[in-house]
Amino acid sequence: MSMRKVAVVGAGMTKFVRRAQETAKELSWQATHMALESCEMTMDDIEGVCMGTAPDSFDGVHMNGEYLSDGAGAWRKPYMRSYVGGGTGVFVPIQGWYHIASGLFDVVLVVAEEKMSSYYPHAQAAFLTIFDHTTERALKPNLLWIFAMEMNRYMTTYGVSKEDIARVSVQHKHNAAKHPCALLGDADLTVEDVLNSEMLAWPVQRYDVSPVSDGAVAIVLAAEHVAKRITDKPVWIEGVGWNLDTAYWTNRDLVYPRYVEYAARQAYEMAGITEPRKQIHIAEPYDPFDYKALHHLEGLQLADRGKAVELYLDGTAALDGNMPVCPSGGLLGTGNPIAAAGLMKIAELFWQLRGEAGERQVAGSPKRGLAQAWGDLMQVGTVVIMGN
Amino acid sequence: MTLLKRDPKAPQAWLGNLPVTSRYTFGLGGERFFRSIKDEGEILGTHCPKCDRTYVPSTIFCERCLGKLEEWVDVGTTGNVHTFTLLYENYDGSHREEPEIIAFVSIGDGGLVHRLGDVEPEEVEIGMEVEVVFKPKAEREGSILDIVHFRPIA
Repeated sequence: MSMRKVAVVGAGMTKFVRRAQETAKELSWQATHMALESCEMTMDDIEGVCMGTAPDSFDGVHMNGEYLSDGAGAWRKPYMRSYVGGGTGVFVPIQGWYHIASGLFDVVLVVAEEKMSSYYPHAQAAFLTIFDHTTERALKPNLLWIFAMEMNRYMTTYGVSKEDIARVSVQHKHNAAKHPCALLGDADLTVEDVLNSEMLAWPVQRYDVSPVSDGAVAIVLAAEHVAKRITDKPVWIEGVGWNLDTAYWTNRDLVYPRYVEYAARQAYEMAGITEPRKQIHIAEPYDPFDYKALHHLEGLQLADRGKAVELYLDGTAALDGNMPVCPSGGLLGTGNPIAAAGLMKIAELFWQLRGEAGERQVAGSPKRGLAQAWGDLMQVGTVVIMGN
Repeated sequence: MTLLKRDPKAPQAWLGNLPVTSRYTFGLGGERFFRSIKDEGEILGTHCPKCDRTYVPSTIFCERCLGKLEEWVDVGTTGNVHTFTLLYENYDGSHREEPEIIAFVSIGDGGLVHRLGDVEPEEVEIGMEVEVVFKPKAEREGSILDIVHFRPIA
């Protein structure tokens, strides 16, 4: 299969906040406007637009993709919304990638937005409606207690302690303290703070979970001949992958995310990566909960099963470590406006690989990074590998 | 009578709902648009000098060039009926003897969808000039329903 090279050439991001005054459409515009300005391009240069946003219920507008379109620059352009739940933010750049890799377009705008504060009284209520109406919904499930059970299974299987898992939250929130757009950065947070935070659904406590957030992120993708004309520092999309597991809870391995492994293997093969632990220099695994970062690092083959926490304990995952994890501050620290949070990881790799990440710039000269998101009915993995 | 009572062999079914309550903000463009209606009785648009278009209701960005809009314009309280429809059925399916009249009223390069009033259905025509009828100032709350309806200009 012959595919054209695709680069990220620009990125923009709003602040991630608890309650934005801006409408969802205005948030989309702010991020899009910044992304265009960052690479000095105009809407005349854009040939197609890809939009990522998670369930319509958050923004409170059915057909939310259409509602957001004019803020995302879709006026009289080919436009498509993609949606794979929480995995959307890393899927929508894949959609933009294949629009260009295929030869269909040369320049594509990719926008992701979420305004979760619209859902009243709390965004968790939206998740009451995503489960099977006959076998599950009568029990009023929400994501906190579903993931509490996955976390418990993970901890018990491998004997990983809550103290060690809390290190993930602490480090991501420390990193977020260096991010100008972050909602929950905290340079002074300690493991004790996490362990003393409000118990939500054992073993998940307040600081084990990412915040409900509003925000938007946009990037500009370009084919090789355009990218080389507009920037000296294109960041190439080297590999993409996505994969789905069964939608039924008890038919799935809760301890090991096989679907993440398959998505990663697809991306590694495309990128020619044979030893991911040596060849991936920055990892941005999806971290809506602290244990999920560990879960995903293992699925991504960046750690042995049950051993991902050692990356945090031995300093490998630190900003100055051998493989910094979530230098962006992740969802735990920077915030979790669902689709925007995934695309934020792509924007972070773009800034890190160009050496433009400011205070949170990782040490050395990273050549390659990986971003991953996860979602749908908690059974989709989406992966993008980027290199400079 | 439920299906089960009508036909004892029908499969059992039950009702569920998807409860959704949303709390919306006007946004940066909408906040100023609705405050202006409420406090001043004025309709505001924003002008894009690059594309030479005036957006009504006001927005903070141009949907064509994505430029930031900073020229706020009082576009007046009159417009033209761009198109209309006569609603002869209520939402419960009952028939209306007097139809509700809904129109798209052009103002600037945009406009509003709203009701027409103080006019007989047979008198409404495309292109007719209409003006805003606001609620009394004390009753306005910053809502699109602060506009009671549009009516023909006498």
